[in-house]
Amino acid sequence: MKSEIIKTLFIRFLSSVLTLFLLVSFLFIIIRLSPGDPTDKYISAKLGSELSERIAEKFSLNQPVTNQFFSFVANVFSGDMGVSYNYRLPVFEVIWEYFSFTLVFASISFVFQMSLSIWLALWVIKKRKKWLNKFVTDSSLFIYSIPAFVLGVALIYIFSVSLNLFPISGLKSLDYDKLSFFSQLLDKLHHLVLPLITLTAAGVAMFYKYIKESMDEVLQQTFVTNLRASGVDENIILLKHVIPNALRPLISVAGVELGILLGGTLITEVIFSLPGMGRLTVDSIFSRDYPLVIGCVFTAGAVMILANFLADIIKLKIDKRLIKGILN
Amino acid sequence: MSIKKLNLLLLSILLLLIIACDSKQSPPNNRIVIGMSADVQSFNSLFAFSYEESTIADLLYPGLLDFKWNEEKGELDPYPMIAKSWQWAEDSSFIKFTLMDDILWSDGKKLTASDIVFSYDVFSDPDVQSRLYGIFNQLFTESDGHVNIEKTFNIISPYEFEMYFPENSIPDLVKIIVPVIPEHVFKNVSRDQLANHESNFNPVSSGAFKLKKWERNQSIILEADSSSFLFKQGQVSEMIFKIVPDYTSRMLQVKKGEIDLVELVKVEDVLELKKEEHLVVFPLFGREYDYIGWNNIDPESISGGQVKQNKFFGSINVRKALSFAINKKEILEEYLQGLGELAASSVSPIFISSYNNEVKPYEYNPDEAKRLLALEGWKDEDRNGILEKGKEEFKFKMYYPVGNPLREYAAIVVKNNLKSVGIEVTTEKMELGTFIDNLYERKLNSWMAGWGIPIPLDLKPYWYSDQNVAVLNFQSYNNSEVDKILDRLEDKLSNEKKYELIKEFQKIIHQDEPVTFLYWTPNIIVYNTKIKNLKITPYGVLVHCWEWTLN
Repeated sequence: MKSEIIKTLFIRFLSSVLTLFLLVSFLFIIIRLSPGDPTDKYISAKLGSELSERIAEKFSLNQPVTNQFFSFVANVFSGDMGVSYNYRLPVFEVIWEYFSFTLVFASISFVFQMSLSIWLALWVIKKRKKWLNKFVTDSSLFIYSIPAFVLGVALIYIFSVSLNLFPISGLKSLDYDKLSFFSQLLDKLHHLVLPLITLTAAGVAMFYKYIKESMDEVLQQTFVTNLRASGVDENIILLKHVIPNALRPLISVAGVELGILLGGTLITEVIFSLPGMGRLTVDSIFSRDYPLVIGCVFTAGAVMILANFLADIIKLKIDKRLIKGILN
Repeated sequence: MSIKKLNLLLLSILLLLIIACDSKQSPPNNRIVIGMSADVQSFNSLFAFSYEESTIADLLYPGLLDFKWNEEKGELDPYPMIAKSWQWAEDSSFIKFTLMDDILWSDGKKLTASDIVFSYDVFSDPDVQSRLYGIFNQLFTESDGHVNIEKTFNIISPYEFEMYFPENSIPDLVKIIVPVIPEHVFKNVSRDQLANHESNFNPVSSGAFKLKKWERNQSIILEADSSSFLFKQGQVSEMIFKIVPDYTSRMLQVKKGEIDLVELVKVEDVLELKKEEHLVVFPLFGREYDYIGWNNIDPESISGGQVKQNKFFGSINVRKALSFAINKKEILEEYLQGLGELAASSVSPIFISSYNNEVKPYEYNPDEAKRLLALEGWKDEDRNGILEKGKEEFKFKMYYPVGNPLREYAAIVVKNNLKSVGIEVTTEKMELGTFIDNLYERKLNSWMAGWGIPIPLDLKPYWYSDQNVAVLNFQSYNNSEVDKILDRLEDKLSNEKKYELIKEFQKIIHQDEPVTFLYWTPNIIVYNTKIKNLKITPYGVLVHCWEWTLN
């Protein structure tokens, strides 16, 4: 069994690598066929296109696309995604600077999305009030339908401009370095409250709907009635029996959501001036920084695959019978 | 985890938030925060390609000379900076510069003449690919544009040197002065690796400010360098460039007082901002104009080799008719709320000595437009509301880049105006990169765009017939008279003669109307009233910001 697991894991790893390779290769061709030229910005009134031509030569942009592709493939296999045209730094060095923020920010938001939605679903179920159920369900639908750019700006207007409770943008204060460790922590928290609400609200609403429906289904099942008939405490029924069963269908969705979050949260990043992957990706697309675009998409693809794999592992932890289906 | 514990956890997070809200500190009052939409990639003046990069690099690396805007003449006057004096040779073959002998780099080393010579060497080196590469044709250069150091410079002492010019060259101080970079930092770095060098992010500077801290995509903090020769007691202690990509957030922070100065404010926000007592709204005119480009030749004929006149816009009368048909004043008054000026040519009114007051913009006159079009054979014979000439109907597409509300508004006005004289225009937005690419490839028939005006005035790249010289002549305008004027402007002439030629240029351009000049658009600057000694001129907003003080 163990060797079979290792073998299937290896196959899954290979297929993931192949998926990523096909993704970046496809992207490489698409962006080179699309209009726009990364060296246009170097054309100057005085010099004409001379500097732009030199820069094109430096980055091999004057080579035929097929030559560029083969040299790109050779570099990818040696772990080199090239040098960013704008930053003039290795692509992964640039990405790491932005991804490290996204990793923390998206993970915190994800944890909040999951925990708040579960808590809310439990609370509504425990209260057993029809009007409350309807109110929370309708409210969650309303929150889910508010676009992030509307929610973000509204939060800024209420909490930053009118009430002056939170900063409008940024990750930390300008005097951050002068603060004590605890104050630095509070300062970052203070800056991240509104972005986290903006990013988390729709996720909570979405997960609430999934969990609530799933829990309602589980609560209808015979084993729950049996447990209640046996006099088991309602809290134990909910926490030990209903939640694990209700969470199973949610985990796959959560895996995809985590992958999307880690790929970048553009709107929240732009509104609140946060240095994340979303902004980096879009900026690199607009400035035609080809290696960086490919690096960003590669990273987003890789985290999506990893997040899904993680979701599968968690599903497996809950139910060992799923092992074959997951590994294949 | 029990539900009670979960509740407790949520409660403690809430409590922590309340503490965090309470921990706000009031900022020190000797700093100025400037809002920027994008971060820089390098602090090195060599690679300061973007507006943001050059703004900051210019503060870190002053040039040999400084320039100030002469309001009366509308041109730049040189002032001492690193060089305390300069003396032209009688035959103009060289200039002798005498440097200040007490200028220190931020690492404590002295700035000498060899730093100056090194700067010219590096800026002109083709391997470096600097932002100023190729502008040194008034000095002794090699065939690849690299300045010939031996022929150009003669170092007399650490604080004195001579700069020589080839025979027949007409050096203009504004065009030949470069920012000075430290030789001791870069001399051992391979030239083709300079762009990646660590010092680009930790600059050793000589300006009034030095880099204190850079948080990528968050803020750039420059602090006053007390060892700088430009340092003055009482000057602002910190200039902070806060990167806020979202325009709405930037405006909210300006209103709230978190940002003290911001540029490129939208016209629609002006009224609201004027209500704020702590803000000053300053519209700066004359550095940008919008226009509608008419390709004077047929774009499809370029690839065929045989260049043909454009079937619509090849005729001067048609181009004039289009200008008569468009109600520019309406756009100016309705959208720009009068914060602009109608444009008659590409020469800005800020260049007072060169500006031709007799050249007036074409006023809205649909009847004159119809008359001119009829003169060229464009008539609505089939009474379908669209003019035709033979079997050709007057229909075309006009492109403009996305993300500019003024142009979106103007496109609707233009479409309606032209419809009323029998011309059908389809307007189409295009992503900026694609739009620029199409312009360089001369693929567009008609477009709406804008130009920033260089100081000093530079006309050849936009209006010369030879497309290899005039890479920005997207309209493929061709007039030998204009070519002669542009060539003559490069000769050794008195200023008066130059002014005369530029005025003549405006007259011809107005007669030919190669494009429809719309209006001079404002760069609206908003700043906090606490900033004093701020002098905004067409030369720039932040130039000489070390002279600013705070209330």
